[in-house]
Amino acid sequence: MAQQTEQRLTSIFQDVFDDDSLQIRPEMTADDVEDWDSLTHINLITAVEREFKVKFTTSEVTGLKNVGDLIALINKKSA
Amino acid sequence: MSFTSVDFLFFLAIAAFLFRLIPARWPAAYILVASYIFYCASSPRGAIAIALATVFTFASALWSQRLKGSSRATLIVVSSIVLLVAYLMFFKLIVFVPHEGVTSWIVPLGVSYYSFKLISYLLDVYWGKMEAAKRFVPFAAYVAFFPQIVAGPIQRSEDFLSQIGNAGTILPGILRIAWGLAKKLIIADHLAPAVNYVFGHATSIHGGWWIGFYIWPLQLYADFSALTDIAIGAGRLFGVEGPENFNRPFTATTISDYWRRWHMSLTNWLGDYVFTPLRMATRNAGNAGLVASLTINMIAIGLWHGITWGYFLFGVVHALFLSVDALSQRARKRLSKKHPQWEPARDVLGWLLTFHLVCLALVFFRASTVSDALYLIGHAWTHLTFLSDVVQPFGSNSGRIFAIGLACYGLLELCERYRPDRWLAHARVAGPRYLRWSLYASTVLVLAIGFALLLASSGGPKNPFVYAVF
Repeated sequence: MAQQTEQRLTSIFQDVFDDDSLQIRPEMTADDVEDWDSLTHINLITAVEREFKVKFTTSEVTGLKNVGDLIALINKKSA
Repeated sequence: MSFTSVDFLFFLAIAAFLFRLIPARWPAAYILVASYIFYCASSPRGAIAIALATVFTFASALWSQRLKGSSRATLIVVSSIVLLVAYLMFFKLIVFVPHEGVTSWIVPLGVSYYSFKLISYLLDVYWGKMEAAKRFVPFAAYVAFFPQIVAGPIQRSEDFLSQIGNAGTILPGILRIAWGLAKKLIIADHLAPAVNYVFGHATSIHGGWWIGFYIWPLQLYADFSALTDIAIGAGRLFGVEGPENFNRPFTATTISDYWRRWHMSLTNWLGDYVFTPLRMATRNAGNAGLVASLTINMIAIGLWHGITWGYFLFGVVHALFLSVDALSQRARKRLSKKHPQWEPARDVLGWLLTFHLVCLALVFFRASTVSDALYLIGHAWTHLTFLSDVVQPFGSNSGRIFAIGLACYGLLELCERYRPDRWLAHARVAGPRYLRWSLYASTVLVLAIGFALLLASSGGPKNPFVYAVF
């Protein structure tokens, strides 16, 4: 499931950051992606919510440290 | 006690020296006592205010954690934050009470900074990002930590508390402090007279408005980043590495890029505790939600400095710039992908535009009245007289002072581009203890002589730091 989540998440990242070559890794952080700031972060979160049909809270969204955390959160929420 | 005063440097030297002698078990208690001594020297009444706010927040966090998950925990956190915001607003508004000298004794030093530290601590505990502090002394030391109390940087409690007990790093600390002192005394204070003159006579001078428009941002950067340098350097003497506040802000090529480089500890704070919650609440409202969140966030940044129309407009203008930036981001990215050959031109134009927008907003920040600001902006590109003609009116050697400041500002940008301090920091001091300490002592001596010469040539540290009043 984690792998499938990662694949679906990759296409969300590519769409939000408008970069088809973008490949995500669990240890990736906002510093590794151009334009990933507090503004685009919420766009990303909204896109994830729509794709995976989940809802996040502010504390969950601010507590994420890297892409791995986001994958784990999505899996926990959609389990 | 200004960071450039001999009193402060003397206090810092003694405090750092004694810090090396105290037993390893007591670093937090030592930092707490030193910080309150520093605080009392500036404002004894303010010390009572900060102590009360600290005890209140400490208790409130523990209480809300005990009731975790219940609606009562939410009630405690929300009402505590409302009280802390009211506490901050009280001191921000009291300056408007017409009373002779009221601000000098009633507004606690650094109230804008420590209130924000307390609010984010409560939210971090509430959101489960960290445990509430069980020991009062380290927590109180975090709130009152004297290197950061005057003007930040705003460090998060987790980051600070995890570093308590580290040994101080002397040489990197001293070098950073020296760098800050040089920026303040050689650059900011040499640019300040011309800038002050232009803003003080905005509607009565006959040229030189460009100084208010273009040079004031440079002065502010040299001044404010110097405060951060001294704060970070002083923190190192006590084993605490504070967060960086600036990353070459005037090299930004977009407004959002600028805000990732300017007063970063405040911008990150507002991003986490104001913008993100607002944006989460409005995330399904499309672009209107985005613009509303940005506007509230930027007005909060403006008003954090003080409740004036100038600060308000500073926030509004930046909200407008950032909204246009955010809404056009996708289109701009597509355009540059389509025409990669335009990239160099785009970067230069983006940099020029961003710098002008930043200058424009800062006029509102600095001008005494909104009409002065509008007048200055309207005349910024008129009567571009030569330097000597413009700066002559305010003193016989004012042209020379201004030129020194401006030339050294160029050096500052070069140093920040090539970072000679990095290779200095890597130069390890090997050898026996007496050799290391003689090196430290001679570094301090050379810097002290340089500092004394600077003070003598400039007639003493008479210019307070711009950001020391917030």
